[in-house]
Amino acid sequence: MAGIRIERLSKRYRGVHDDEGALTDLSLDIPDNEFVTLLGPSGCGKTTTLRLIAGYLVPDSGSIRVRDRLLSAPEGVVPPEARNMGMVFQNYAVWPHKTVFENVVFGLRVRKLGAHEARERVERILDLVHLSGLEGRFPNELSGGQQQRVALARSLVVEPDTLLLDEPLSNLDAKLRERMRLELKALQRRTHITFVYVTHDQGEALALSDRIAVLHKGRLQQYGTPREVYARPANRVVADFMGLVNLLPATVLEAHGDTGVVAAGPLRLRVSLPQGTGTRDRVDLAIRPENIRINAPDGTAEGAAPARVAERSYLGNLSEYYVTLEGGLRLRVQAPAHADFPIDSAVQIAIDAEQVSAFPTGAELEPSTE
Amino acid sequence: MTPATARAEAREGSPGAPRLRLEHVVTGGATVALVVLIVLPLLSLLWGSIAGEDALTASYFVRAVSNRLYLQALLNSLVLGGWVGLLSIAIGVPLAWAVARTNLPAKSFVRLTASLAYISPPFLIAIAYVNLFSPNAGLINSFLRDVLGTPALTFNVFSMAGLVLVTVPHTFPFVYLLAVSALGAVDASLEESAQILGAGKLRTAFSITGPLVAPSILSGALVAFVNAIALFGSQAIVGLPARLFTLPTRIYALFDFPPQYGLASALSLILVAITVAALYLQRAYLARRSYVTLAGKGVRPQLIDLGRWRWPLLGFCAVVFLVAILLPYGALVAVSVSKSWGLAFWQNLTLANFRFVLLEYDVTRRAIFNSLVLAVLSASLAALLGALIGWIDLRTRLPGRRFLDYVSLVPLGLPGIVMAVALIQFWLKMPVPLYGTLAILLLAYTARYIPLGVRAANSALRQVDPSLEESARILGASWGTTWLEVTLPLIRPGLMAGWILVFVPAIQELSASILLFSSNSITLAVAVYNLYENGYIEPVAALALVNVAIIGTAIWLAHRLGAGRDGGRVGAIA
Repeated sequence: MAGIRIERLSKRYRGVHDDEGALTDLSLDIPDNEFVTLLGPSGCGKTTTLRLIAGYLVPDSGSIRVRDRLLSAPEGVVPPEARNMGMVFQNYAVWPHKTVFENVVFGLRVRKLGAHEARERVERILDLVHLSGLEGRFPNELSGGQQQRVALARSLVVEPDTLLLDEPLSNLDAKLRERMRLELKALQRRTHITFVYVTHDQGEALALSDRIAVLHKGRLQQYGTPREVYARPANRVVADFMGLVNLLPATVLEAHGDTGVVAAGPLRLRVSLPQGTGTRDRVDLAIRPENIRINAPDGTAEGAAPARVAERSYLGNLSEYYVTLEGGLRLRVQAPAHADFPIDSAVQIAIDAEQVSAFPTGAELEPSTE
Repeated sequence: MTPATARAEAREGSPGAPRLRLEHVVTGGATVALVVLIVLPLLSLLWGSIAGEDALTASYFVRAVSNRLYLQALLNSLVLGGWVGLLSIAIGVPLAWAVARTNLPAKSFVRLTASLAYISPPFLIAIAYVNLFSPNAGLINSFLRDVLGTPALTFNVFSMAGLVLVTVPHTFPFVYLLAVSALGAVDASLEESAQILGAGKLRTAFSITGPLVAPSILSGALVAFVNAIALFGSQAIVGLPARLFTLPTRIYALFDFPPQYGLASALSLILVAITVAALYLQRAYLARRSYVTLAGKGVRPQLIDLGRWRWPLLGFCAVVFLVAILLPYGALVAVSVSKSWGLAFWQNLTLANFRFVLLEYDVTRRAIFNSLVLAVLSASLAALLGALIGWIDLRTRLPGRRFLDYVSLVPLGLPGIVMAVALIQFWLKMPVPLYGTLAILLLAYTARYIPLGVRAANSALRQVDPSLEESARILGASWGTTWLEVTLPLIRPGLMAGWILVFVPAIQELSASILLFSSNSITLAVAVYNLYENGYIEPVAALALVNVAIIGTAIWLAHRLGAGRDGGRVGAIA
């Protein structure tokens, strides 16, 4: 219904150094009633995308459609006030000169709703975000989390087709952030509104989203479910951004269609290969620390390699090791908390080759969608 | 879908919104206003300085730089500005240091001295000092000569020294204010780092604190210089009896019949060149080297325990208070209630002078009324235009918005009398007969003080995050609704500050008014000056005090209104 179709969207800021925040040739289908996250480091173009969807910016090229209605094109845009969207800003943008009630009722007044109905709807929405009883407070009398809810309520009360959220949790402390995360997810399920969410926090993106669009330097790197982008990253940038990862240069020893054996230092792994990879090609391997097992050396396990502990730190819920392989290759390994190997001790490591991704060397800037 | 249908849908998308939206009309209006107020008069001034009978000519500039009369005036202006700049540092820096960095007692007294000196009309200080130190009738001079019998101690105010003396009280606050904020922004840790590395107090002051605050101090001195050379009132009141001409008084004299517009324009441009050069130096060089903004919040300046040295320092502050406030205001109050000013003035006190200027004399009554109207209107216009221009600069991507912002700052470099010459040049050529009306004075005031309005609005808008306005838009509010509901309420305290910043100088404006007034559009300051010229010493003092009373009332009112229902809240969040 309110699905958003973005086609070949580009936006450049004149005079801005290094194309910070620019966007190049973005195509994205955001299905109705889904929670979609735009994920990337600062300056990757995610906020630009959000502001283009909101209608604050005019694209240089490309288009944005909602329900097949053209909203944005270089020749003109439907202004924000006529898009029936909501937006929650990073700083909440709660009006400091208006009370909670006045903040929330604003959009209803603009829509010329009767006072009685408006009051009812405000009450209902404040109840939904657990702010009942605070109608008369001014924002400076609220905590950060409460201001956040006011911003949410203000956007939701007008029943928008789409809610845009620009790093709404980044100003909250860790505990509150976690709780609001759950509430946001629940809210989205209950309201049946399409959420477009911007964040640079991959954990947040994984926890909240139905789909994640990973952006880097203004280009889409991968668009898929949280599982896909985490376990099957499309390139090394995505692999790197979606969590801790060991990136190793490797050489293909033998290729059989889409799988093959690769060599990285002393390691020999059978992995799935990117299309068109042949014997003796160079690839990059992405191996997540939790997919490496560390054991006392016994010399029997298949695919295991001897290693030596270089650094270790105990993190409470797990133990983290840096191990050095023959030839100097260094790997980060996450083991259960009880795995206890002293520094300089000999160990052996085993890699779950199923979980290893291989990319052609230096392929990060190619847009790739699945 | 083709681009054309995109546009059609874009229009459809905002039902009831015509293609030409309110925001375009309003921003366009602000731009036109700036052009009419500033750009066109300035172009006329330029044109007037080079337009001969039937061809372009350089003869006005040649005369301006070859005639000894004008060269002397130029030299006098520079000497005056130089001395005033130096003395402003000599007074402003110790006061600033005392307030920002020492445990001086009675700091609020020092702050009050600086604020009072800043808002006092400069011509009023000049008149007060004439009453005390004119060679023959000055009260203190008569006392020294006739009662104490020490004529050697008398001081002739009609001299360069006198002119500097009556100007500095108005200008030292510029240095003081900038130095206070600079000194207050130097975190103790910067100095403590030097001290822990072995530097003594003196060495720390010279190698750390000094270089950190020097740009602000020099910046203040340049602003003091620029303001000093533009003050027509004191230069006319104190300079003319001594035949000490400066550029503003020379330009003024050129409007005696027959007016010499070309030469006046050329001299005006020379004056502008000096001011602009000084301001350019200040903005382009010093402001960029000002480190004040580097420090974040929690700045903790190091306070120095003065020990017994605080008494001499407090004494110094008291002398400044005496010279800048107590003597002039004391003199004015005394003169205003005396029948006839002289050594025996206290023998028959009267309120007749106040009755005369407030009730009986129609010229002064009209002048007070005119000035009130002009100050209120010009302050409101400057604040409104400032808000719009600041908004265009900060919130839109309109091409030329930087230029708009730049143009709005140009009047900073235009002494009042130059603004008057430019407006005369422009409006005399226009078919609309504005010359001699209140309207031309309103244009002059608004144009002169628009930089204050723009800067106040600019800093207010900078504190309002754009997302506060964007939230209103995406909730469906139009541009106009967003302005009324969000932008204006949030920048109101800043606009009020800008309003009062314009009102205070406007109610006492003399430099431009003196060339633009007519008997119907006479203003307060012009009435003071005319009465003074005609020797009405006592009513002049009464009228000057009325002027000060209006300024005080306005500041008090603005203070009350500025802190409204949410004045405190806005600062807390935005």
